[in-house]
Amino acid sequence: MTRRGTVSPIIRMSTNIATTPAYMVELGSSIGSIYILDLAEVRVKQESEWEPKLLGFLCKWCSYAGADLAGTSRKKYPANIRIIKVPCSGRVDPLFILKALRLGFDGVLVSGCHPGECHYQTGNYRARRRIAITKKFLEYMGIDPQRIQASWVSASEGGKFAEVVAEVTKELKEIGANQLFADEK
Amino acid sequence: MKNREMEQRLRHEAKTWLEEGKVDYVIGFEPGSLKFTTTPLITKDKDDIDRLVINPFMVNNLSVYLTEIKGRVGIVAKGCDSRSIISLIQDNQVVREDIIIMGIPCPGLIDLSKVELWLGRDRDELDDITRDGDRVVIMVDGKERNFSATEVLFDNCLSCEFPTPQEYDVLLGETSSLVADKIASRDKIKKLEGMTSEQRWEFWKGEFNRCLRCYACRSVCPSCFCKQCFVDESQPQWLLPVPRWQDNLMFQIIRNIHVAGRCTDCGECERICPVNIPLRSLTKKMYELVGDLFHYQAGMDKSAPPVLTAYEYTDAEDFIR
Amino acid sequence: MTNSKKINKKDIGGLLKEWSQEFTVFIPWRESGVAMLDKWDGTDTGFIDWYRNTVKPAKANFFPPMEEMFRFQKGREGYHIELPLDEHKQLIFGIRPCDARSLAILDMTFTESYQDPYYLPKRNNAVLIGLGCLKPYDSCFCTSLGISPAESTDVDLMLTDIGDQFLVKEITQKGKELIARASQVEEATEADEARAKEVRKAAYGKVTRRIDTKAISEKLLSCFDNQDYWEKVAAKCISCGICTFLCPTCYCFDINDELVKRQGARFRSWDSCAFPIYTKMPMENPRVEKWRRVRQRVCHKFEFYPMNFGTIACTGCGRCIRLCPVNWDITQTLDKLPG
Repeated sequence: MTRRGTVSPIIRMSTNIATTPAYMVELGSSIGSIYILDLAEVRVKQESEWEPKLLGFLCKWCSYAGADLAGTSRKKYPANIRIIKVPCSGRVDPLFILKALRLGFDGVLVSGCHPGECHYQTGNYRARRRIAITKKFLEYMGIDPQRIQASWVSASEGGKFAEVVAEVTKELKEIGANQLFADEK
Repeated sequence: MKNREMEQRLRHEAKTWLEEGKVDYVIGFEPGSLKFTTTPLITKDKDDIDRLVINPFMVNNLSVYLTEIKGRVGIVAKGCDSRSIISLIQDNQVVREDIIIMGIPCPGLIDLSKVELWLGRDRDELDDITRDGDRVVIMVDGKERNFSATEVLFDNCLSCEFPTPQEYDVLLGETSSLVADKIASRDKIKKLEGMTSEQRWEFWKGEFNRCLRCYACRSVCPSCFCKQCFVDESQPQWLLPVPRWQDNLMFQIIRNIHVAGRCTDCGECERICPVNIPLRSLTKKMYELVGDLFHYQAGMDKSAPPVLTAYEYTDAEDFIR
Repeated sequence: MTNSKKINKKDIGGLLKEWSQEFTVFIPWRESGVAMLDKWDGTDTGFIDWYRNTVKPAKANFFPPMEEMFRFQKGREGYHIELPLDEHKQLIFGIRPCDARSLAILDMTFTESYQDPYYLPKRNNAVLIGLGCLKPYDSCFCTSLGISPAESTDVDLMLTDIGDQFLVKEITQKGKELIARASQVEEATEADEARAKEVRKAAYGKVTRRIDTKAISEKLLSCFDNQDYWEKVAAKCISCGICTFLCPTCYCFDINDELVKRQGARFRSWDSCAFPIYTKMPMENPRVEKWRRVRQRVCHKFEFYPMNFGTIACTGCGRCIRLCPVNWDITQTLDKLPG
């Protein structure tokens, strides 16, 4: 089990996913470098095809409820997404997005309430600005801006959520695996 | 000539303020212990005031001390510094009534690393450097070398839009005429913009391999005033203090995003980096992005909310599904 | 007949090439304008004419900015630990006397009461070839600390630049053996030795910055509680880590683990007493005020280290003065000590 306090606990390991690691956990051979260790795992297809890993920050009041509705309505969407519930999309610091990329996620989705419908009035407006600047700045650094995605999904839009995840997963499959922070072998 | 007059006036004002008890501290520039350097002077003592100077090497952004000094302060500020002060006021880190700003219209400062590159000599091997309008005269080995100011001023000085302080109580001297070279000063960024995504990432990887995580860029930046920086957090631990390029890069990216809209391009971070990482290629680009996306310039309006806490109904959302 | 040898500058490349079969050769190199000791690429000998000290100190070769201490994996039977043994032999060409002395000072911490298993092998396996400075910086003050910019006994071979050649002085047995096999090395003449003496004297004279180290520990002890003085001294410090990281005798480090599930590694990395969180503990931070941290740094180098090890933990290399963002100057602080 992971030890608290020493591992970034933004992701709780779900131990009941019976999977094999999609990526090898490698310890780099050069001194002082560790190949980025993946925390999330994805059910691997028979053919061991690479599956992108998507981290979703869903706001509790709208998007998370929307995702829940997608589940109860039995709408199918790819299992590549791992969801973190945040109180508001405005809670999402660009630090979380970059940390996710650092950890090896191929993409990050931030989803919140539609403008004007934020439970906290203005949170999603700030998220809008933050994600805009993060995407542009990371593009300048050399990170594909398509790895950072955003959506407005309300609590009743279960269908939309499923579509968003499907589209984003498709795009990430096209961009390819996130090797940004990998060490050269 | 003009510098002398400004210095006299500066010293006179600063002394008066201390004597009349208007301020507890005066923060200004005094000659450094090395050639062609100035160093901050922070003093309560009016006898120290005669050491205050104004010269082409006063690079420090003194507003960095405002968040740690307790008491009323009389502070010397160039154009970029004054905007840092306004930015701090916007962030509620400094109370306007607690400071007296002595503004200096800045003609641009001489970048010693450029001089060293041109002459192939180190700073302490030069005899003299003088600025004369748009020319800079350097005496080395007994001979005179002439340069155009655009060759030796800092890049951020060459692209400066507001050399005269935006906020001041006293203005020392007249508004200066700028020596600008906006094209040349953006050279490095232009080069990066012309590269592919992969090339850019490789470039930054290479640069940040040298980073030692000394945090000087963070310490010298007035906009980095957080009591607990995200790199110092251990629960959760976002980054290890270990200087791996991945973490170094992540540190700098997030630092830039966190100070977006606060950075006034004073250039200190790049000047002081001991391993010559071109940090302004990041900060200046962020400055431009903030301008393009949100039509906002840091440190212009005391009453404006900081850009990432503000919002417009018309903000672009073409990237949102 | 003299005791010294000499070598032509243009033969250095060849000699280093021979040595690089046994050692990893490090030379002073400028990468993106930053001077540091870097692995020699095998061909370029432009560094030979450069006459000044590096930015990154030589300690980085023995006590690197980041070092993996060990890796571990948890298996069914328990922990499996892998120790990366770094026993590669280094040959450092062009180390300056101040940096060479700094290694002797670091030895006291890393080898005396506790044998540091990461530092020791590197130190024991390294060969140091010292190069005298021709033109010290205006921030150098090595002469005040009993170090000459042009001579050193802390290296294996000491080179002095006498024009087209280097005069070579054998300091240790290791050094003697190293050049015994070198075909490019010749006997030096008396004229060569005289020239070298002139060069050394000139370099010594060029160090103009001085501090008075007489009774410095006692002076510091007596003004330890003078808060007003230390507050004034510390006022312009911005608590970054440059002085400590670039100081050849600073050795504080932090230890961090990175682990995920059942694997991980432990790292050691440079830390700085200038950082505000350096002494932060759950209940309190005894050095939360900046003046305490600045006082600590000065006293550690000039009072506590001499008390414990008998030597001032400073070699006068001047990097802290030259590279400090605000030109904080330890020599000025020591000069103006009250009482």
